[in-house]
Amino acid sequence: MANMAVSRIKREFKEVIKSEEIVQCSIKIELVNDSWTELRGEIAGPPDTPYEGGKFLLEIKVPETYPFNPPKVRFITKIWHPNISSVTGAICLDILKDNWAAAMTLRTVLLSLQALLAAAEPDDPQDAVVASQYKHNYSLFLMTARHWTNAYAGGPSRFADCDQKIQRLKDMGIDEHKARAVLSMENWDLEKATESLFS
Amino acid sequence: MDQTEETDAVNRDELIMQQQRQIEKEISDTIPLVSEEQPVDSLNNEYMGDDVYGSKVRDLAAKYRAIRRTRPDGNCFFRAFAYSYLEYLAGHKEDYDAFKELALKSKDKLVALGFPQFTLEDFHDTFMEVIEHVSPGENDKQELHKLFNAQGYSDYVVVYLRLITSGQVQEGADFYQNFIDGNCTIQEFRHQEVEPMYKESDHIHIIALCSALNVGVRVEYMDRGEGGQVKAHDFPEGTDPKVYLLYRPGHYDILYPN
Repeated sequence: MANMAVSRIKREFKEVIKSEEIVQCSIKIELVNDSWTELRGEIAGPPDTPYEGGKFLLEIKVPETYPFNPPKVRFITKIWHPNISSVTGAICLDILKDNWAAAMTLRTVLLSLQALLAAAEPDDPQDAVVASQYKHNYSLFLMTARHWTNAYAGGPSRFADCDQKIQRLKDMGIDEHKARAVLSMENWDLEKATESLFS
Repeated sequence: MDQTEETDAVNRDELIMQQQRQIEKEISDTIPLVSEEQPVDSLNNEYMGDDVYGSKVRDLAAKYRAIRRTRPDGNCFFRAFAYSYLEYLAGHKEDYDAFKELALKSKDKLVALGFPQFTLEDFHDTFMEVIEHVSPGENDKQELHKLFNAQGYSDYVVVYLRLITSGQVQEGADFYQNFIDGNCTIQEFRHQEVEPMYKESDHIHIIALCSALNVGVRVEYMDRGEGGQVKAHDFPEGTDPKVYLLYRPGHYDILYPN
């Protein structure tokens, strides 16, 4: 059984590296070890989204029962998105759970994740805090997502206001990521962020 | 929901999936994918002292000489169908040749319907390999049984039949739409209820597969309903069945008529 998973992955690997998307640098896939059970994926943030210009790394684990069960996929690069945990990188996407079909491939998965970045589903959230911001304060969500893309994925947009507030918390001895996470959760209200950190 | 609760939720999801895998493993360790033939009255062991089922088992035993059980993993309809039909084909050269031709052509049709060529080829090749193994003349019944109990072959056949079924639903979308409950679109139904492994089959799956492959299936329904007899239903209606299945709520097994 395990052999079936490995031979299928080997062929998929070839498929992905020959694909058009590779040529356009929009998806990428790499081996992590020689066992073919763990891979590293990369997707480019889609144009006209707050993730544009960013590169997002993915951890891909292939179960022994592949392709009958889905691969386990998680974002390694931190990202601000309603369907992806800003803490663990866990993803809420139907094809990675109940709606996986054996005819799908790693390429399908990477392209579906790219599509997820372009079209969030805030009503079926993985990260309730992000989803709530998306629904109730969309412009703030856009800024936060762009800011995270800049900070973690190499995106182009810098926000002086965000950087300043993070610096203020850093000056109080808070770790940079912790500062960014708390400010993002508190809709960039420095006072509330400080309160939540020190109470 | 704060961040710690959210992390818990992630873990709960994981735990549920883990537990599901565990249950699946227990079933797969104890029940073969397809059993040997057993007498029909072996069903009585499951319904000790149950009059409703007792009389239905008697009724069934009068019409069928044997039953072959399949593993209850949500794929039972597809696996039972494939086993039973290939077993029939192994003894009927003309039908075998026609089916092989149809199976060969099915790939291009599915590609045209938009299935990914790469994985489709994988499943199609294995499907053809299995068909090749049961060609009449070779007629080694043990070979079919061995293949269907080898998880890899067996599941590849199930996947390919699911794709054929999905393709048929797509092709006849106007017709099948009438049978789909609620707000589900044809696309959603195909992706959520037909293509994924382990999803149970309903009438719509049976009708679609039968029409795609041009095969008649008789299903004997056995449940707690009144009457003391099993109820037969032919798909499509009025055809001469080549495959006989027993349906009990949630599960299909293979039947052998007298």
